[in-house]
Amino acid sequence: MNKWWWLLLIILCWSAAGFAIFGARQNQTCTDAPPPTQVTRIVSMAPNLTEILFMLGKGEKIVGVTTDSDYPAAAKIPKVGTFWQPNIEAVISAKPNLVITLGFEQQRNLARRLKRIGYNCLTVNIEKVSGLFDAIEKIGAATATQSQANLLVSHIKKKLDELCASVGRDHRIKVLYVVQRQPLRVAGRDTFINEMIELAGGENAVGPTVHKYPPIGAEQVYACRADVIIEPTMGQKDLTAQQDSTLEYWSKFKNVPAVANKRIYVINGDTVSRLGPRLDRAVEAIAKCLRPELFEN
Amino acid sequence: MEGLLTPKKLIIRFVSALIILAAVMFICSFVGTESISLKRIFGPADLQTAVNPDYEIFVHVRLPRIILAAIVGAALACSGVVFQALLRNPLADPYILGISSGAGLGAIIAVLSGLSWTLLGRSPIAVFAFAGALGTVWLVWFIGSLAQKPGTIGLLLAGVVVNAFFSALIMFLISVAKSQQVHATIFWLMGNMAEEDFLVLWLGAGCVTAGILTLFYISPQLNALCFGGNDARSMGVNVAATRTIAFAVAAFITAVAVSLSGLIGFVGLVIPHGVRLALGPDHRQLLPIGAVVGAIFLIVADTLARVVVAPAQLPVGVVTAIVGGPIFLILLIKHCRKVGWSGK
Amino acid sequence: MVRQMSIIEANKLSFAYREAEALRDLSFEVSRGSFLAIAGPNGAGKTTLLNLLCKTLKPKSGSIKIDAVPIESYSTKALAAKVAVVRQEVLPVFGFSVIETVLMARTSHYNQLGFETELDKKIANEALEATDTAQFALRALGSLSGGERQRVFIARAIAQNAPILLLDEPTSFLDLKHQVGIYDLLKTAQLEKGKTILAVTHDINLAAQYCDEILLLGADGNYHIGETKDVLSPEQIKKVFGVKTFVGRLGQEKFFIPLGKFAKGSRLTVVEPDSNKQKKLWHMPP
Repeated sequence: MNKWWWLLLIILCWSAAGFAIFGARQNQTCTDAPPPTQVTRIVSMAPNLTEILFMLGKGEKIVGVTTDSDYPAAAKIPKVGTFWQPNIEAVISAKPNLVITLGFEQQRNLARRLKRIGYNCLTVNIEKVSGLFDAIEKIGAATATQSQANLLVSHIKKKLDELCASVGRDHRIKVLYVVQRQPLRVAGRDTFINEMIELAGGENAVGPTVHKYPPIGAEQVYACRADVIIEPTMGQKDLTAQQDSTLEYWSKFKNVPAVANKRIYVINGDTVSRLGPRLDRAVEAIAKCLRPELFEN
Repeated sequence: MEGLLTPKKLIIRFVSALIILAAVMFICSFVGTESISLKRIFGPADLQTAVNPDYEIFVHVRLPRIILAAIVGAALACSGVVFQALLRNPLADPYILGISSGAGLGAIIAVLSGLSWTLLGRSPIAVFAFAGALGTVWLVWFIGSLAQKPGTIGLLLAGVVVNAFFSALIMFLISVAKSQQVHATIFWLMGNMAEEDFLVLWLGAGCVTAGILTLFYISPQLNALCFGGNDARSMGVNVAATRTIAFAVAAFITAVAVSLSGLIGFVGLVIPHGVRLALGPDHRQLLPIGAVVGAIFLIVADTLARVVVAPAQLPVGVVTAIVGGPIFLILLIKHCRKVGWSGK
Repeated sequence: MVRQMSIIEANKLSFAYREAEALRDLSFEVSRGSFLAIAGPNGAGKTTLLNLLCKTLKPKSGSIKIDAVPIESYSTKALAAKVAVVRQEVLPVFGFSVIETVLMARTSHYNQLGFETELDKKIANEALEATDTAQFALRALGSLSGGERQRVFIARAIAQNAPILLLDEPTSFLDLKHQVGIYDLLKTAQLEKGKTILAVTHDINLAAQYCDEILLLGADGNYHIGETKDVLSPEQIKKVFGVKTFVGRLGQEKFFIPLGKFAKGSRLTVVEPDSNKQKKLWHMPP
């Protein structure tokens, strides 16, 4: 039995030593964050965050972005990984004093790890339109650009109000917003895309669902009686090329009003899917599909 | 009697393995997407930002990952050795008795429940995965002991059934979950070496080392068990106690490994075989040297996973399978040419 | 004849697998240093009896005493010091060598670190010498022939240094040379080391030649135990095994050749139960 007691003793001593050495550091997170005015090196982990920073005038302070941050074109900045797989080493190599991430698991994980090492991180949740405005304000506060942030927010809100006014509230047009074709998935009611549709004067053809982006079958396509079908460009493909394949795909659903009336549109997906400061342009793009006659001029 | 294992031989082999491990750890800490150099690590901090990125990357990103890979690799290898001995089946791996599906189920439940508290800085996924793994093992043990013939067949069957059932549950939960959560869970389950807090690494290393030491203490009994429970008992080995301790400890260190890094396959299957084919089936040797070889293997696999398709990262499980599979086949072919493992 | 102290005492032993009764009220004693054969038809419970004697199974009723101590009060380690078992061939899945296999019998004597002492190695070597397997010491168990492997398992049992040796059909699947070799080995162990040997066997002729006593277990629960020359008779064999035999004499012992309906000798020989009418067809010179 001797060796078992020794083992127990060693385990207890080891654990105690561990807590003694590292336990103290647990409470020490990033205590020395630089004040917002001295934030000179920013890493943005999402394309919409990059756009926000540029619009707040902090574009030249950005030292790292993800591979899909391509707007504005001035964003020729070293890449620090992808949206889904951030590269923490690249982030550290960029020597940032502020890292901004989104709120989903992988990026929240990254923020946690960076905070533990001692970096200044800001996590914002941009899942709804209201979240976007909150995020802009938070980023403004973190970069000492509160006034620009407020301006940006009110600018976007004004544009949206104008749009809402021009499209009117009556007669909501039924929209099916397709995010994936194989299998067929659409944006459901609980998404920011839905908010954009409603802002643009439309109504989601699909009713409330369990999933945010539910896969739907052929009978639901018929049952929803959508007036308009919108598909965003997948990837960097030519708009016209996708237009052709889209029309061909939907031609088999002849009895759906959108197909019968040839109201199938392909729009640039980036502005919509990013939920960023170009929100007004995204909503406008959708509104153009719903009521093209209003935008003839 | 030169073929026989002696304490001296074991110590020499073990220390040699440790030296190789240290060398591998050192080399691999300089491999990554960013290039860092030994000189710059100890150099001064960058003037403008008061930060030395080389040092940060080395100490806070590379070193923890390597230590984590060593811990998980050692745990999985030893656990594989033990399960192969207990089940007297060279195809056994640490996940055969439901640990993988139990951990997966725990992880999915954690994600779906939306809890956000942390234990010692570990996300709830890790804690639930640990609990799920251990709970499932206990369930399999319990069902196996209810079987008519207590022994390995009951356990194996119970493991297969529980695995199938829980896997189906996992599929069900995935299909009703929101896509983001699902993505996170699957990403976690595929095995990832996110560096951890040093306290967690310290405690994890302590748990796994204690487990391996315990298993080493009972390795003569494990040797005897390879001849079957009846023969072992006739030779004076307390079969029930040995089986219980071995099973519980192996399950424990596997659960620790899974909660630290997700599910990484092949290590627990290939390393025991490799070491056994090279050095013989004596568990007093298999366990310590298997642990070190497992650590080396996973460190190398993780390093490859980091750089092969940079800037993206492969899941470590992919690399272990791609690297481990062919190595295993070569070892197997080489060995089958030698007489000795005629099996049944 | 003065009866030595019994090393094994079984009293009214009963055992049943579920509903099928294997042993019923079996009582017998085995004296120290004797060689007992256990024979009987399939299903009579021979292996069951062995398993009861090494505590792998627990009796439904009845008691067993090893060295005058009830078997229940032996711990696993203590029982291993008294009883060593050689079962039907077990090939491990992993390639242990011969010397490693034999050394495993000494597991309970290892030092604190879990390694063999010098004494253990000496005993193992002696066991290998005794079974004439020393030349295989470093070879893997799976690379030996059946007969050689069986000798290794017996060496392991000898290395255990237990006074009682239980063997379950030690010579099935072996050729004649190895059969005889094993029994010679066992007899040597009995005579030179004073071991008590119980061997389950199908071969009553070898049992007659080598064993002191035989326990005949019938499928119906009847049993007979005694010296081989007394217990083994054609009537007894017909009763227990249900087979006619041609019987002949070899010294004090008989030998039996089982004859079925179509055997060549079945029409030639006449088996007479009564020794007066027995036709001496063949008699080996003394």
